[in-house]
Amino acid sequence: MIVRIWGTRGSYPVARAEMLRYGGNTTCVEVRVGDSCIILDAGTGLRQLGEALGREPSPPSTINLLITHTHWDHIIGFPFFAPIFSPRNRLEIYGLQRTQSSLRTTIANALSDPLMPIGLEDLRAELSFHEIHEGLRFQLDSRVRICTARSNHPYRALAYRVESDDAALVFIPDTGPFHTVLFDDERIEWTGTPTPNTAAELLALAAMRAQIVDLARGADWLIYDSQFTDAQYARFPHWGHSTAAHAREIAEEAGVGQLLLFHHDPHHTDAQIDAILAEQRATCDSGLIIAAAYEGLELRKGERL
Amino acid sequence: MKMQFWGVRGYVPTPGAEYLRYGGNTCCTALYGAGGEMVVLDTGTGFCQLGDTLMAREFGLGGGEMTLLITHTYWDHILGLPFPGLVHIPGNRLHIYGPDSTRGSLEMVYNGMLSPVYSPVYGLAHIGATHSFQPISTDPFQVGGMRVSAMPLSRRNHSPIWAYRVEEGRRAVVYITDVRYTDDQIWKQALQFAAGAQVLVHSAPYTRTEQVQDYGHSRVEDAIELAHEAAVERLVIFHHAQSRTDDQLDALVSSYRRQLTDEESPLIFDAAREGDVVEVEITMVVEVASFAGNFDHHHDPSPARSRT
Repeated sequence: MIVRIWGTRGSYPVARAEMLRYGGNTTCVEVRVGDSCIILDAGTGLRQLGEALGREPSPPSTINLLITHTHWDHIIGFPFFAPIFSPRNRLEIYGLQRTQSSLRTTIANALSDPLMPIGLEDLRAELSFHEIHEGLRFQLDSRVRICTARSNHPYRALAYRVESDDAALVFIPDTGPFHTVLFDDERIEWTGTPTPNTAAELLALAAMRAQIVDLARGADWLIYDSQFTDAQYARFPHWGHSTAAHAREIAEEAGVGQLLLFHHDPHHTDAQIDAILAEQRATCDSGLIIAAAYEGLELRKGERL
Repeated sequence: MKMQFWGVRGYVPTPGAEYLRYGGNTCCTALYGAGGEMVVLDTGTGFCQLGDTLMAREFGLGGGEMTLLITHTYWDHILGLPFPGLVHIPGNRLHIYGPDSTRGSLEMVYNGMLSPVYSPVYGLAHIGATHSFQPISTDPFQVGGMRVSAMPLSRRNHSPIWAYRVEEGRRAVVYITDVRYTDDQIWKQALQFAAGAQVLVHSAPYTRTEQVQDYGHSRVEDAIELAHEAAVERLVIFHHAQSRTDDQLDALVSSYRRQLTDEESPLIFDAAREGDVVEVEITMVVEVASFAGNFDHHHDPSPARSRT
C-alpha cells in the first residue's frame, strides 16, 4: 500500500508563506493498492492529485472517491479534478446516506448555477454514487476492503478504514472527542459552559468512541483530526474537532503503528504545528510513532518516518 | 480612497510556493474610504485573511461596519464569508449587496451555502454579526462618502454577474469579473461603465492565444482594449487561472507592458498581487489631459468590433 498526502488543512485552504511546509490545501489523501486507486476526500489537494494522475504512463481509469462528509473543505477540489472531464474514466463516489438530500443531489447542487456553472451531465467521466453508512465492512474490489464508522462531527461524518492484504490506513479527519459534546444532525447551541450530558448521551458517546477505536485497531497509519490546541478546544467544543492529545489517546488505545496529525487549523503556522508535534512526542512514552501530515508525504508499508 | 487586494486567484485557491508572490486566495478586494468607510468586493478565501487582520481593530470588539458588494455567487466569490471571527461577533454590521440568482435571492443562496450539509454554521441565522441582504440595482447609493453604482452583465442561461463602480470625489474604481464580451451590447455597457476610471480591476485569466475550456471569461487583450477605449489610467488584471505560477505571471506582465510601451500607450498595466495597496488618486495629470477627448466620448461609445 502506498499513501500520498495531497491536502492536510481543515476548514478552508490557506495560501501563506509560513504554512508552506505542512501545506495549505484542504483534505485529500490518495491510496494505491496494486492497480486500485482510492481517494479520501476531495479538498483542494485533489486538483494537484488529478494533475499527477495525468502524468502517469497508465493512470487508473477507475477511481474510488470516499467522502467523509460534504462540508466545503472536503469537496471544494472536486470540479478541478481533471479526470472527471475524461470519458475514459469511471468515478465511484461513496458518501453518507442522508434522508435530507441524496449524495448525488448534494454534489450536483454545489456544482450548478448559481454556485458554479457545471452540470453533472457536463462531466464526461462515468459517475456512480454509492450512499453508505456507518458500521459497514465491504470489499471495494478484489484487493481492497473498506470499513466505516461514524465520527463525532456536526451533521455527522464518516470515518474510513482502507485495508489491503499488507496494510491498513484509517482516516478520521473530522471528529470531536467523546467525553462531552454529542453531535448529530441538529446544531449544538454553545452557551459558553458545557451542558451536562444525559445518561443516554454519554452512552452514545461511549459507543461511538468504541467504534472509532475498533476501526483504528492495529492500523499501520491513523490519520486523525488534531485541529485544535487545548485553548481553542476550550472555546470551540461545539465545532467537532479534536486536539493532538485527543488524537494520541485514540491512537494509543487502538495500538496503531503511526499517528499522523491532520486537518491542521487554518491559523496554525508551520512553526506552531512543529510545536504541537514536539509536545506530543516529548510527552509520549507508549512507543507510538507520531508525525504531522504534510503535503507531499508518501507512506509505504514497512517504511517509517 | 485606497484599495487592497486580499484574494486575486480565480476558480480555486492555490496554496503553494509557486503561487506565493501573486497569491493563492480567491477573489476579495477591499476599498478604504477617506472617512473610514470600508467596502469589500466579493468574499472568496481572501476574505478570511482580511477578516483576521480586522480583528485587531473595532471588528474585534463588535463595533465594525462594512459594505460587501457581491458580483455573483460562484464559489471563488463567496466561500470565504463564514470563516473570519468578525462575522460571528455580535455588534459588527455587514451590509451585503448582490444580485438575486435564477434559483433564488442572494440571501437564499448564502443560506444554502451555509446549510448543514455544506457548512457547520447551519445557515445565516447563526451568523452572529448583524447582517442585511439587499438585491443590487442600477440605482447608485452612498456608503459614507463613497458612491456605489452597479451594472448587470447578463449571460444566457446563467445567473447574472454584476460589475461595480465605487467613486470618491473624482476618483473611481471599476471592478468587472467573469464576463465574456460575446456581443457589442455588453461591450458598450462595460465601456460606458468603466469610462474615465482611475483604476479598472478586471478578470483576465487567459490570453487570446491560449486555447482553454472557458466558462465565460475575458482575455487579457479584452481587458486592455476596454481600458484603452474607456480611457482608464490603470488596469489591474486579476482572477488569475489556477495554473498560472508567479513566474508565468511575471512574464505575462512584462510582455504586455513592453507591448503597451511600444504602442506609446499611457495605460499602466499590472497583475493584482495579494496584499498590494493601490492609492486611487488622480496622479497621472499629463496622461489624463491627453485622453480628455476620450472622456467626452463616453456617453456615445463608438461601436465595438465584433467579438468572439
